[in-house]
Amino acid sequence: MTTIRHGRVSLELHELRTAPGPTLLCLHALGGSAADFRDAAALWRGRVFALDFAGHGRSDPLRGGAYHPEMLAGDADAALAQIGAARLIGRGVGAYTALLLAGGRPDLVPAALLLPGAGLEGGGAAPDLVNDTRERWSDLAPPLPGCDPAVRRLERDLRPPDYAASFALAARRLLLAEDGASRPPWWEAVQQSPSAARAPAELSSALAFLAE
Amino acid sequence: MVEPLYPDAVAPERREFFVSDGVRLRVDEWGDPAAPPLVLLHGAFDHGRGFDLLAPHLAQRYRVLALTSRGHGDSDWVDFYAWPSDVTDAVNLLRSLGRPAHLVGHSRGGGQAMDVAAWAPECVRRLVNIDGFGPPPEGFGPPGAKPDTRPTPARFADYLDRRRNAVGRSWRPYPSLDDLVERRRMQNPRLARDWLRYFLFHGARETEAGWVWKTDPEFAHGFGPWRPEWIAPGWTRLRVPLLAVTGSEPDTWRLPDAIVEERLSFVADVERAAVAEAGHFVHMERPRETADLLLGFLEP
Repeated sequence: MTTIRHGRVSLELHELRTAPGPTLLCLHALGGSAADFRDAAALWRGRVFALDFAGHGRSDPLRGGAYHPEMLAGDADAALAQIGAARLIGRGVGAYTALLLAGGRPDLVPAALLLPGAGLEGGGAAPDLVNDTRERWSDLAPPLPGCDPAVRRLERDLRPPDYAASFALAARRLLLAEDGASRPPWWEAVQQSPSAARAPAELSSALAFLAE
Repeated sequence: MVEPLYPDAVAPERREFFVSDGVRLRVDEWGDPAAPPLVLLHGAFDHGRGFDLLAPHLAQRYRVLALTSRGHGDSDWVDFYAWPSDVTDAVNLLRSLGRPAHLVGHSRGGGQAMDVAAWAPECVRRLVNIDGFGPPPEGFGPPGAKPDTRPTPARFADYLDRRRNAVGRSWRPYPSLDDLVERRRMQNPRLARDWLRYFLFHGARETEAGWVWKTDPEFAHGFGPWRPEWIAPGWTRLRVPLLAVTGSEPDTWRLPDAIVEERLSFVADVERAAVAEAGHFVHMERPRETADLLLGFLEP
């Protein structure tokens, strides 16, 4: 386990597997932690790292509680600064974060696998003009176990489809795991991008796609 | 250095801290603690002492509380900044008062006051926004700078680069308070040097290396999908009477009137006022006139 810094926040970066081959960086879902990727690590031929996002696992909480996906992308980018280029696998809010990073750092992210999970949807595609402020900013739901209570703000940020699509357009290769369940509008927009392809929901098959 | 003086500036009668979401925020107070409350929100890179000219007039009728937002003045720095955090802080302060209050904001604080009133109308009696009607459609930038038209991910990469270098960043020290005054006057040439010397004395600190801003250097470097065209339609939610104030003069950070009027057309109950011989910093440039306007609009 390595401690890395994003701004003033200390984060834990876990090396789950050491082996020759391409590097994989795992980004967990809302309320999750690096420990959620032990199964993925066992299936990957190469080094596997998993990050605890701020407010999760063994990483620091964010003083002031201003959690949002672009901040999490800064967490993950700090991990890339440490380990170099890596394929990404993200679940839930970690999938959205992986999209942002794949679009913002195409030189460091050859491919990203997006999986469903907690925090995938965020606060919707655009503001709801009638109740938006109250619904999005009002008091938070009960804390998630082992997490900073304020991480639930990651259920409130807006994720416009055209914003997400612009990141998909800049990304090199995106794999979107489909299991027949409905997906939020940002995911549907990303699915239309030339860089995007459907992947099986079953993890070992999806990882085989990602390794290509 | 001894605190500079400025005519008619009245230091707060009480200086407290209010804790919101674990963050310690400066609250400056004037007036009878038992009087009806009125809350003031300052603009970006400013702080509560910017109300030292306006607040004493309002304090004749109200308990005036100026909240200094996180990362500014004497308030705590945090690890990350986002608009909803400041709105939450203001709502938390209003709720702590135990009775509805008048709410007045300038610039960024004015925009946040609109969101506070939309979120927590039960806390707000009447609302005053002093030139806080959002950025122009192309966004705020340094005067004369071309808007950044690169694709979103390219600008996001700049943000990530900045985050990588965000460990221990600090402001360049200035040799003297007067150098800070001149720096600020480059942005706000309408503000008098003597006033800025008074105001910036409380917005900066003297270190061994020189004078440095108190504002967190990480403030205002966030990234997100927010859009100027979301501002005004959101104001259809407002259910409290609004007084919309601008200065009469063109100024940096001053929106063109046509955009102000177009955005205000979304507000159900709005009164419009322009203060003569004032730019963006209406309450600093014309405090007496601003106070008269506010006292006329706000119910006792």
